[in-house]
Amino acid sequence: MMPIILLQILLIPILASAVIFISRRWLGRASGWIISLALLYATFLAALAAIEVSSGRIITEQYLLIAPGIRLGLLADGLSIPVLVVVLLLCTALSFYSIHYVKHRITVLYEKETEQVKIEHYARFFYLLPFFPVGFIGTILSTNLVSLYFFMEVLTITLFFLMAFFGYRERVRVAFTSLSWGIIGALFFLVASLVVYNQLGSLEISNLGQFSGTSFATLAIVLFLIGLMIKLAMVPFHVWMPWVHAEHPTCIAGLLAVYANLALYVIVRVIAIPLSGDFEPFGPPLMVLALVTMIYGSLLTMAQTDIKRLAACSTISQISYSVLGLGSLTSTGVEGGLFFFLSHIMGKTVFFSTAGIIVYTTGIRDIREMGGLARKMPVTACLWLIGCMMLSGFPPFSSFTAEWIMFSGIFERGLLDGGFGLMIAIGGLIAILLTIAYSFGAARCIFFGPLRPEFESRGFTDPPWTMTVPLLLIAAVSMLLGMYPEPVIELLHSVVGNI
Amino acid sequence: MTVLVAWICIFSPFVGVATTPLFGRGHGKAQDLSAVLCTLVSTVAALLLLPELLHPNTLPIESAVRWIQRPIAVDFGILIDPLSIILVNVVSLVSFIIMIYCVGYLKNESNRTRFWMWMNGFIGSMLLLVLSNNLLLLFIGWKLVGVCSYGLIGYYYQDQRQHWIGGPTPTPFVKPSQAALKSLVVTGMGDMLMLGGILILYFYAGTINFIELYDTAPRWFAQLATQPGMVTLLILLLLAGPFAKSAQFPFHEWLPEAMAGPAPVSALIHAATMVKSGVYLVARLVPLFYYAYWVAEIEQAALFFHITAWIGVFTALLAATQGMVALELKKILAYSTISQLGYIMLAFGVAGLAPTLLLDGYTSGVFHLVIHALFKACLFLCIGTIIHAVHSIYLYDTGALRRYMPVTWVFTLAGALSLIGLPPFPGFWSKDAILLVALEANTLLFLVALVTVGITSFYTVRFLAIIFHGTASTSLKSIHPHSGLITEGKGSMRFATALLTCLIVIAGIYGPFVEEVLYTSFQTSLDTKISTGTVLWSSVPEQSSSHVLVSILALTFVFGGAIAAYILYIARKWSPQVLINKYSAIRSLHTFFLNRWLINMVYERVFVSGMSYLTHFIANDVESRWDQIVNRRLPGELTNKIQRLVYRLQADTDELVYNVSYVLILFVILLMFLLLIPNAN
Repeated sequence: MMPIILLQILLIPILASAVIFISRRWLGRASGWIISLALLYATFLAALAAIEVSSGRIITEQYLLIAPGIRLGLLADGLSIPVLVVVLLLCTALSFYSIHYVKHRITVLYEKETEQVKIEHYARFFYLLPFFPVGFIGTILSTNLVSLYFFMEVLTITLFFLMAFFGYRERVRVAFTSLSWGIIGALFFLVASLVVYNQLGSLEISNLGQFSGTSFATLAIVLFLIGLMIKLAMVPFHVWMPWVHAEHPTCIAGLLAVYANLALYVIVRVIAIPLSGDFEPFGPPLMVLALVTMIYGSLLTMAQTDIKRLAACSTISQISYSVLGLGSLTSTGVEGGLFFFLSHIMGKTVFFSTAGIIVYTTGIRDIREMGGLARKMPVTACLWLIGCMMLSGFPPFSSFTAEWIMFSGIFERGLLDGGFGLMIAIGGLIAILLTIAYSFGAARCIFFGPLRPEFESRGFTDPPWTMTVPLLLIAAVSMLLGMYPEPVIELLHSVVGNI
Repeated sequence: MTVLVAWICIFSPFVGVATTPLFGRGHGKAQDLSAVLCTLVSTVAALLLLPELLHPNTLPIESAVRWIQRPIAVDFGILIDPLSIILVNVVSLVSFIIMIYCVGYLKNESNRTRFWMWMNGFIGSMLLLVLSNNLLLLFIGWKLVGVCSYGLIGYYYQDQRQHWIGGPTPTPFVKPSQAALKSLVVTGMGDMLMLGGILILYFYAGTINFIELYDTAPRWFAQLATQPGMVTLLILLLLAGPFAKSAQFPFHEWLPEAMAGPAPVSALIHAATMVKSGVYLVARLVPLFYYAYWVAEIEQAALFFHITAWIGVFTALLAATQGMVALELKKILAYSTISQLGYIMLAFGVAGLAPTLLLDGYTSGVFHLVIHALFKACLFLCIGTIIHAVHSIYLYDTGALRRYMPVTWVFTLAGALSLIGLPPFPGFWSKDAILLVALEANTLLFLVALVTVGITSFYTVRFLAIIFHGTASTSLKSIHPHSGLITEGKGSMRFATALLTCLIVIAGIYGPFVEEVLYTSFQTSLDTKISTGTVLWSSVPEQSSSHVLVSILALTFVFGGAIAAYILYIARKWSPQVLINKYSAIRSLHTFFLNRWLINMVYERVFVSGMSYLTHFIANDVESRWDQIVNRRLPGELTNKIQRLVYRLQADTDELVYNVSYVLILFVILLMFLLLIPNAN
């Protein structure tokens, strides 16, 4: 067992970022590879920790004082470690993916600048990017509310800069939108934390259980939930998502899906486990809201013609699936919901990054102007179809397994509650159909049918391997987890099992 | 040993999926061989299971490994019982023959990797579905079958003009990619509802294993029945899946378009895989609901049989009438598939309508399933050859083909006569058995089924007459003198079709024997499934007199339909067109049938256009307004307000005092609020 393994995982991306920052003027194109390899190493460490945790140990580490009574605590248990490994895997894969994508983005965006400026921009992307994994790792592993808040803000700020520098249409305005929404959400979280501190005199998550049963617990839950629902982009707080998720540089699309969906993990960590009794009345309204968001998001997606906005709107509905599982408040439902969260971020990474490949190759975003691309880009077409299958829950991908585990929890709740709960459960199943319709429907518009004559002469081909292979590997991981979900489920069950 | 054979049977096609891409371009022969070989292994394995049917006492055999322990214990396992053995043989044998046909059919395709992968995946998933020992594994196979069919129906993804179906104008054309999407979404609807049914079943039964479900039925059905309406809900949800997959009303509209793929794919979908999965699941569920209705006496459980029987017979009639007027070669066969599946559903439905009918109904349903697989595969392969030869999908572009393709004519005739149900062809035995049980259950059901027999005979003879008799169409004449392209299929195509024809003939001769074997094996297997003291169902109903009556009636209707079609299309005493023009009743019926009872149109209106309207309403009215308010107007207002406040604060002293007092009051309120929160420390 490696010492201070969790701290290493947290610090490696920061160190890598510092190296790139210092040598940004002369490192040039190598910076992408450096970050990717550093993240690969971090993923490897996380996998080591996962093996350790699988054998039944819980890894805890305590570090420096932030303020009196507040330490930076890192905790790897059955709940955090699967999330950590999958998220780091995605970060690594997307970092490799970014190597070519960012180059392309900078060429388009800073066309008139000199080569030196372009290289600096390129390095800038890569010294900003590691703060995404840092924020994720911190949020996942934190043991107290303040560091949790801090790392969530790290994510928001990183997103702001990446968006403002490398985004698409109206990038600065959208960056501000994302920043304001991020801060508003975080503020609710902060106020809730202060309520907790006021009552408890402690910000440790493990102490939260002590104040369950009081009316302040309910107040804190309401505040936490509003804050996190903004992050989760649930109706009516979803309006930031179509903009932010559509106009970011596409290479971080998967990370943005994690950014939004991670709030589900936070809800489980901070509310559902320690305050399960107080959280119970929130289950049914949360399920209703989730169902509304699922259907609303899917309908919204179906109306989109912009390939990036389509994928963005799909995230709105997909995130709410896992919320539906959570809202059932049965251990099966919550486990399934968390597993679906992991499956969704993998699926969305493949799906959205494939959309990125299309934008990268063709420079077109309107799907009405595409068609027949499968002939020119067979690998990309395959990836898109894999993404469709991963999103709409087809076996052998993990989203299928997650879906039925989750829905068996939802049905359990529905059948225990009778009529209304059952209607929600069946409604949720039917909503999946909309996912099939929009994802495969888009596949038809983009890839099938005759190739447009004006594309015939343009040399559209599949992108370089650094863009396709990482995505194929993610699909393979998802397939593996779908066929053999036992490790993840066992880990989740060890923590969530007794809700 | 048996178990190992069954596992090999499932995995062999998946091995094919993995190995096919290893043979790149330029290794076409090796690739074809490896793909077909994998199906052959499955077929041999399936045939090895066949002797088990003769010792029904040793069945069922189960073999399973624990797949997931938590939160739901699920096995990855197989169940070998008479039903699965029969289905496995039908699936693998028919698929294998179709695979042989494909070698010739796709000779000119440059890259067949994708095709072989989908085909093997399709067959493997179907075998998994049929052999699985629990509902979840079945559901996995179910979904995989769906996605493979998507890939195969949309095989010509570039939507070239020659692959369009539908038409001629004014009937709209359908492109392959559109047909694929439609099938995926429509069957997906059923899948999702069925998953709900499975989960409700799991909640009450605590298991999804078939054997355990049968064994524990007394316990969980009693519990289920205490909840009002729950049995009904369960039945509706569970049946939605099979009805969607087996193209029964109201989910039947995907199948006519599903023939957009290559002809062998249609043969596979219609005969061996996909649509057979639905009837198979119904067959699996029949003993459960029979138990609930007749033994446990839960009244609501009768709904299962009523729905299955009535929807089945209605679908049979609905599709048969559309088959009478269809203009495309494959579409006629597609309608006939829907119609024949309706018969099978009817058989399973009537199995539970009277306590004594279970065994007869069940046997006749499975029997017809087997026979239908044989003759429908044969017919589709023949049609594939014909389309290959005449380069058109339309009936009126053929004509007098008996002269050019005598061998295909013989093959088609064997399939068609079986479809009609003329003795000694096997369709006669199986259809007769269904009619017999229908008569004993309900006279109205029987009458509708009987009328459908007549209609079936009519459209089949019309189909034969137009293709093979009469005069060659103009388009045919234009092909013929130039290149002489109208020839029989390639060697492998002819071989495959001949094989099926032989099987049909053999099945015809041994029909009653096959039925007997099925009967005895189901007798034992149903005995173990319905684990109660009651043996109501095994008492043989008295049938001698009605049996002859049914045969005579059926043959009367067969000849009635056939003679009508003969007069119109072979003897050409009257021209159908003249009749349509002359009588307005016939005209409106013709239009009604041609427009598929307007069902497709209504679906298009409601689901496609309605959905498009709804999504645009959401996106353009709801979302964009809300977005405008929250992301544009609100920040704008806020900025303005603050700006104005700052200006006013700077303006003059009076205002300043005035405004500062506001701020102070706000501050005090906030302070009071904070003080009101009691501190725990």
